Amino acid sequence: MSKTNRGWVLESYPVGDNFDAALKLRDRPVPEPGPGQMLVKSLYLSLDPANRGWMMMPTYIPQVPLGETMWGFVLGRVEISNVPGFAPGDLVSGFGAWADYCLMGAEMSNKVPDLGGFPLSAAQSLFGLSGGTAYVGVIDIAKAKAGDVFVVSGAAGSVGSLVGQIAKIQGCTVVGIAGSPEKCAWLTGELGFDHAIDYQREDVGERLTALCPKGVDVYFDNVGGPMTNTIAHHMALKGRIVLCGSMAKFSNPGPELDLGAILMNRVTMTGFILIDHFDRLDVANAALAKWAAAGQLKHKADIVEGLENTVTAFGRLFTPGAPHMGKLLVRIDPTAN
Amino acid sequence: MAEINRAWVLEKRPVGDDFDSALKFRDLPMPELADGQVLIRTLYLSLDPANRGWMAGPTYMPAVPLGVPMWGGIVGRVVQSKSPKYSQGDIVGGFGSWSDYCALPADGLNKIPDMGGLPLAASQALFGGAGGTAYVGTLDIGQVKAGQTFVVSGAAGSVGSLAGQIAKIHGAKVIGIAGSADKCAWLTGDLGFDHAINYQAENVRERLAEICPGGVDVYFENVGGKVGNAVVANMAKGGRVALCGLVSQYNAEGAVPGLDMLPVLLKGCTVQGFILLDYLHRLGEASQKLGQWLGEGKIKFHADVTDGLKTR
Repeated sequence: MSKTNRGWVLESYPVGDNFDAALKLRDRPVPEPGPGQMLVKSLYLSLDPANRGWMMMPTYIPQVPLGETMWGFVLGRVEISNVPGFAPGDLVSGFGAWADYCLMGAEMSNKVPDLGGFPLSAAQSLFGLSGGTAYVGVIDIAKAKAGDVFVVSGAAGSVGSLVGQIAKIQGCTVVGIAGSPEKCAWLTGELGFDHAIDYQREDVGERLTALCPKGVDVYFDNVGGPMTNTIAHHMALKGRIVLCGSMAKFSNPGPELDLGAILMNRVTMTGFILIDHFDRLDVANAALAKWAAAGQLKHKADIVEGLENTVTAFGRLFTPGAPHMGKLLVRIDPTAN
Repeated sequence: MAEINRAWVLEKRPVGDDFDSALKFRDLPMPELADGQVLIRTLYLSLDPANRGWMAGPTYMPAVPLGVPMWGGIVGRVVQSKSPKYSQGDIVGGFGSWSDYCALPADGLNKIPDMGGLPLAASQALFGGAGGTAYVGTLDIGQVKAGQTFVVSGAAGSVGSLAGQIAKIHGAKVIGIAGSADKCAWLTGDLGFDHAINYQAENVRERLAEICPGGVDVYFENVGGKVGNAVVANMAKGGRVALCGLVSQYNAEGAVPGLDMLPVLLKGCTVQGFILLDYLHRLGEASQKLGQWLGEGKIKFHADVTDGLKTR
């Protein structure tokens, strides 16, 4: 084959936020699918904070080895299939790589369902990992119910923005925490959050005292770090904290949470990673499609053009107040709708 | 009555471990009885790590006010009653104070049943807060099941020693963490724990990885800090942490490390704080079961009794 295949190769482990030094765009041969694999032409690449964790340490998957094309969630079209049930031309979404072409196996990939009237990017901005994580986190883990005071951090992100809206649909009072006035205005103006707190410019503890005088029933934690501690001290009696794996930044993983607040307020804190709940994806996707069609749930794809701009875009996930809202995607194939 | 009521009065908030300066032994007048109250002669006072938190500031209760006798769990004999529920001579347990006498509302008291020859101290060691806390924490919060791996810190304490034995009765593999070789020998030799780790002498994280290669399913947390994080680092997928106490924080002079949340997130664990006050409705069942197991020789307890209210 005479196709070119560019890929972002992890050449050293990133130090701090310096992803430019760690990842290099290289020409690589188009990979050959082995038994049980398929060759996928990438259309969209999903950029997620969890990618950073994969570079830094073994997580729920092994650490990305040096010399490997960086791993990521890809939406693409099958070109060659050695997987029963998948044929050339099928649209698939799954665990691939930051490259023009990648290999996928059957286990960590799914055929993209009929998207109805939604654009192809909705497979990643509304359905799939972001929407699935938001749905499972709010419905199954937090068990949000009408009347709950529900706080979500990383609220303008792909998961957080859906989380707040799903909680709102359940009848909660929703407070979003984000890092710029523009993001906060989007949350309350467009997405229907009751309140938004700009953690870069406001004292989160003071604002929570004013906004949630009876305490926080549910905290959906997308960021970890000192923010969790602040909010733990504002929890209502028997409140719930959901630690969400999709957005964990892994940038400050040291000991940090004052368990005294958890004990005194009798809080239940539960961590989850979506891959342990894949059996709920069909239910989640059906609910998300229904709410989106009814106009109750808005989703936003923040689309960056071109594989070559991937690393610059990725850095924005970790820059407080960076102009990014919703799901950050890279359009790898310019012909994708 | 002309009797003196001696009491430990909280005169200021303790600084570090200096309880001598904070608590003063005073002669007070006998308490006045209001309607619905009973006057109790204290027989046993329970000393618990939580007492320290109550002195320091608001917890799940307001802070103990300065100038009053320090609060504590007691067992005592009713000497005068203005309530139809109790009469003179009844033995009751309740939330009283560090004093010879206290006047308490009858509604907040429990009548101590005839314990069939057991010493009265057992009512606090086994049937009072410690037994109830161990029972609820192990079964309701930890939800331990047969074949699971159960770890308890503060394992030689009143709560921890019972929690480990309750988990053992339910078929778990039980590992206790304690602070001396003698305590560890007591856990494995007398109480039937499968393993014990001396956190003063051993690397808790590495020892747990050896003893429980499949991870820890239930962790009964009494201490927090470094020991707590060493256990949490070894949790199994979907493991549960019953957060009962944080003794390492009560005693700390510097900052104690908080919880490392990353293992909780990556392994989908649940950490649940609980306080016995929310589970008083479970005390009846807890007492009945604990009494049954005691009779069957399945659990042992140890009450470390000090004589005299004045003893520091």
